[in-house]
Amino acid sequence: MLAYLLLLVPLPPLGGFLLLALDPYRLDRRPVLALSLAAGIAPLVLFLPLAIAYFTGAVGDMIAPAFTLNFGQYEVALAMQLDPLSAIGASTVTVVASCVMIYAADYMSGARVADLRRFFALMNLFQAGMLSMVLAADSIVFFLGWELMGLCSFFLISYNMTSPRAFAAGQKAFVMTRIADAALLAGLLLLFLEATSVRMDELIPAGLAAEESRAAIIAVLLLVGALGKSAQLPFQTWLPTAMAGPTPVSALLHSATMVAAGAVLLARFAPLIEATPGVAAATAIAGVATALFGALCAIAQTDVKRLLAYSSISQIGYMLLAVGMGAPGVAMAHFVIHAFFKSLLFMAAGVLSHAGGGSTAIEKLRGTAYVAPISFATYTVGAAALAGFPILSAGWWSKEAILGAAVEAGPFGQFLWLVALGGAALTGVYAYRPVLCALRKPLHDAPKGHESWLAVAPLIFLAIMSVLGGYLVEPIIHEMGGHAPHAGLGIEVMGALAAITGLIGSVAVTFIPSWNARIKRARRLRAGMQMDAIYYAFLVRPYRRIVRLLSGRDGRLGKHIGEGPEAQEGGMGDPVGTATVVFGLWLARVVTAPFMPDRFDTVIMRGAREAQRAGLWTRRLQSGRLRDYALGFALGLGVLVILGWGMTWG
Amino acid sequence: MGLSLQILLPFFGGLAVLFAPRFGRDYERYGTIAVMALTLLVLIFSALNGDSGRWLQLVQADWAPSFGIQVLLAMDGLSAAMLAISSILGIVCVFISWEVTHRSAMYHAVICWTVAAANGVFLAFDLLVFAFFWELMIIPAFLLIGLWGHGNREHAAMKFLVFNAVAGLGLLAAVFWMGATAPEITFDAFVLSEAGYSTPVQVILLLGFALAFMVKLPVPPFHAWLPDAHTQAPTAGSILLAGLLLKTGAYGLFRFPPLLFPEGLMAVAPYGMALGAFGVVYGAILACGQVDAKRLIAYTSIAHMSIVLMGVCGGVHFALAGAGVEMIAHAFSSSALFLLIGALQHRTGTRDLRELGGLQKTAPAFATSFAVFFAAALAMPGTANFLGEALVITGMFQVNWAFAAIALVSLVVSVVYATRLIGAIVFGKPKSETAVFEDLKPYELWPIIALGAGTIVFGLFPQVLIGWLRPAIDAALLPLGVGAP
Amino acid sequence: MTALNILLVLSAGLFLAGLFGVAARRTLLMQLISLEVMLAGPALGFIAAGAHHGSIEGSAMFILVLGLAAAEVALGLAIYLHMRRATGGDSDAATRLRG
Repeated sequence: MLAYLLLLVPLPPLGGFLLLALDPYRLDRRPVLALSLAAGIAPLVLFLPLAIAYFTGAVGDMIAPAFTLNFGQYEVALAMQLDPLSAIGASTVTVVASCVMIYAADYMSGARVADLRRFFALMNLFQAGMLSMVLAADSIVFFLGWELMGLCSFFLISYNMTSPRAFAAGQKAFVMTRIADAALLAGLLLLFLEATSVRMDELIPAGLAAEESRAAIIAVLLLVGALGKSAQLPFQTWLPTAMAGPTPVSALLHSATMVAAGAVLLARFAPLIEATPGVAAATAIAGVATALFGALCAIAQTDVKRLLAYSSISQIGYMLLAVGMGAPGVAMAHFVIHAFFKSLLFMAAGVLSHAGGGSTAIEKLRGTAYVAPISFATYTVGAAALAGFPILSAGWWSKEAILGAAVEAGPFGQFLWLVALGGAALTGVYAYRPVLCALRKPLHDAPKGHESWLAVAPLIFLAIMSVLGGYLVEPIIHEMGGHAPHAGLGIEVMGALAAITGLIGSVAVTFIPSWNARIKRARRLRAGMQMDAIYYAFLVRPYRRIVRLLSGRDGRLGKHIGEGPEAQEGGMGDPVGTATVVFGLWLARVVTAPFMPDRFDTVIMRGAREAQRAGLWTRRLQSGRLRDYALGFALGLGVLVILGWGMTWG
Repeated sequence: MGLSLQILLPFFGGLAVLFAPRFGRDYERYGTIAVMALTLLVLIFSALNGDSGRWLQLVQADWAPSFGIQVLLAMDGLSAAMLAISSILGIVCVFISWEVTHRSAMYHAVICWTVAAANGVFLAFDLLVFAFFWELMIIPAFLLIGLWGHGNREHAAMKFLVFNAVAGLGLLAAVFWMGATAPEITFDAFVLSEAGYSTPVQVILLLGFALAFMVKLPVPPFHAWLPDAHTQAPTAGSILLAGLLLKTGAYGLFRFPPLLFPEGLMAVAPYGMALGAFGVVYGAILACGQVDAKRLIAYTSIAHMSIVLMGVCGGVHFALAGAGVEMIAHAFSSSALFLLIGALQHRTGTRDLRELGGLQKTAPAFATSFAVFFAAALAMPGTANFLGEALVITGMFQVNWAFAAIALVSLVVSVVYATRLIGAIVFGKPKSETAVFEDLKPYELWPIIALGAGTIVFGLFPQVLIGWLRPAIDAALLPLGVGAP
Repeated sequence: MTALNILLVLSAGLFLAGLFGVAARRTLLMQLISLEVMLAGPALGFIAAGAHHGSIEGSAMFILVLGLAAAEVALGLAIYLHMRRATGGDSDAATRLRG
């Protein structure tokens, strides 16, 4: 019975979405906020008791079937489940999402009511999507949630609807993630065909039992799906531009949900990834490469939100590394910790940039430490967690676990460990830059700002979690059925040294003017190695060319309806369709050509002309005079009489 | 009797509607709604009282025995679904044409006759009668485009007429040949299905049938009539085209080739799938390049109907189920999109994407409705469109991975054109054309809500739909030698 | 020559006289009168034939012809009145269908 509570968890946000998006009444600002907050926090209230009962062992794994579709022998049984992964994932999501919603209620308070409604409706739908994805016990609900997030991310990133930049960012995010989603769908469908079921607990064994090449293809497809959603190399370009969305959107999308969903996917299907060593290695390499790449790009950023975006990319790279090293439990531990400190960082950066005059440039944060001290303090805690400040921060524990897992995985893993260690040092370099910048004396005195408790309360809570979360790392790993890696003291010291090197590097970069100037010059790195431009040149532009080639030049259409002819004129509008028309017309012409000029027609027309002439002559008979007609009658009658008479002779 | 009513009611209803305005203002509209509602009621009644076997209802009677023509009407879940859609779209058409005043009685009569002819196509199993309704259907649609269309309407109507009439010849020739060569002259599809033609003969006959169906569907390269017809047709015409006429092509493809020419279908199926795959990508790419909103949607229709072709040629349970679901889903979603674009055009006088924008600000209800069908157009899970495409892709994975991959590509491209559409209409700053924009009126909103509910309910709870389609799918698979999975 | 033949010749004569009147006269009224004379011819023939065969049908036909003549006169006079207003009763002047 308790299991059915699971089905209820994603419902309140869904209901909130429906009420806000479709209600015919014009709700006022307060009801909108109250409704969306209630809908956003209700999953936490519903799920927390369940999670506590689960973690304390009061209830075991359970599955709540929703309904079942029948396709002959194939049974599509939709359900939600409570297992270690979903329990951990859902608790994190509900906690972080509640914090973000509370923060958003304050952050968005200046918006128009209509925009507010749209924003919160989408946030609620987004939450529902993520929750149903995390809790899904079957691939259909999983994919439903996965795609709902993609859709909502499009609308949320381009929340500022009048800005073409925001729309382009949303479109880019949607298209890029959809490419990966198509791969994921293919993988899930192939698994479905193997398993003749959509239930996770049957999909994974079926995938393991599948023929080797097929299993490898499935694993690759799932990996591509995760790479796209998690903005890993080579899909990373959508994430930095996605910062066009409001801060709460970034805080939700890029911490516990959307972007981290790829990690959840891989943790969910970890046995399949591990079963194919090549794919596992690819996962690890992609993860480590992205971690390093993200860290490098983050250093060169001058905008705090973009910096955090690249840090998300980089941190999720670590999670992928853990999955590739065969330690999904460790990945989930980092997922949880990362969710806490990353949402904290985004939200605190939002407050700080408001305090600094609204710009998100790191330079503009100067002196904000004195304007918004509480937010600054929480941001510092978050940055420490991000950089993996030894012992004190939660981030250190989870990152150590990942590095330890890499070391334990043999020589290949140790090579990756080395790279990851470099990445960790670089993480320190960029993580503290905004902190140090905010600490500098302000250029001109600003009055101490007012920090609303609605915005600050979630920050403080998340800051506490970013410190104490370290205690969660080992239980989470155990819960996931893994073991906490113990790589030896030397390795741990190396990790700590890397983190401290990062701090020193950060101080150097901020305070040594020549180094600072160098960062400002690193345009190529700031633009994410110009991957965007490369994709534009090699994918987008050719595609546009094909489109233009096939559909003809824009502007063929008359300005208004009824003006101007349509497709056939000018350009190569729709060559295949036009070819058919042209062929048909040609055929018609060829078939009719021998009959031109139409001889039947000339003969008939001559006949017609003669008939006309005859008609003219005959018309004289019709004088219109009654007497003439009477005479005609009489004559006719006479002829008839004579005829009749003649016939009686015979 | 119930089945003949599905054809006779709208037909005579149309005649009656012609005279309705003499009795009062707007009586032709009420009359059409009454006729459609009555047809729907009769349908529901006969579906509920249906048999549990292969057919819900079957009517067989002699018509012209010396020529072997009979009244042979049969309805299963697939036909019932299509009939329901035709009546519902008939009502929708009346609602959204409330402001049509030019020859209003004739307009509504034409709507009734389109529905009547389409219903005939969905029911007839005497091939000659089927071909008769098939050709008949063209006439009211031709009138609808030619008399009440926009702009270059005569050209579009002629194009529509020529394409479909020429293609219908293939069907007619094949039907006549089959009837004439049968041992005892007959056009009974069930009798002819046991005629035992050799495979080459089946292929030739199939091509005759398929020509008619593929032009109506339409699949590239036979699609050139559709964008023109859609752009110039009045809103109701677009809705009937997208929701009904295209579906007759899909229905025919679903119904007759597997029944009559199983071996022939097996022989040409790979080419059919390849053509479908080409159509999916081609339609989607061209949709990305349009500046006219209606043309854009027309090209997406081509892409989606190509998926139906792929599904039918797939010849496995999933693919056929997907084709069936996609047919119905597309009837809902595309007619709703045409409705919205029609409303847009009525208010702003333009469909040019470059001149629209900012409707989120000026017309929130419009924007929300648009977003829902935007999601359906890009096959968001939870809409029936996703179910259809996912099922077809699953089936393709069973048959040939290459086609599955191509269908997956279309999922990505669909995002490009769908975001382009919504970006140009809903996003951005309001422009001069859209600065003053009256939001959807109730009589426009209700059809939208109904269509949206259909899309989402069937997307989330597809068991009903799958259950309806099941007998038709099994029957289509049986001659192909594929048992129920 | 039997009585019947005489009567039939008489009736033919009446008919031809009437026909001449219709064809030769231009006045509509006179043409109507001639028409009546024409009708009288065959009517006489019917009666003669009926008497010859001892049958009542000949006389019955005469009554029918009388009815026809009455109807024709009624219509004809109506047309005459109309025409008189338009053309002064000259049938040759009314050569167009448009009244």
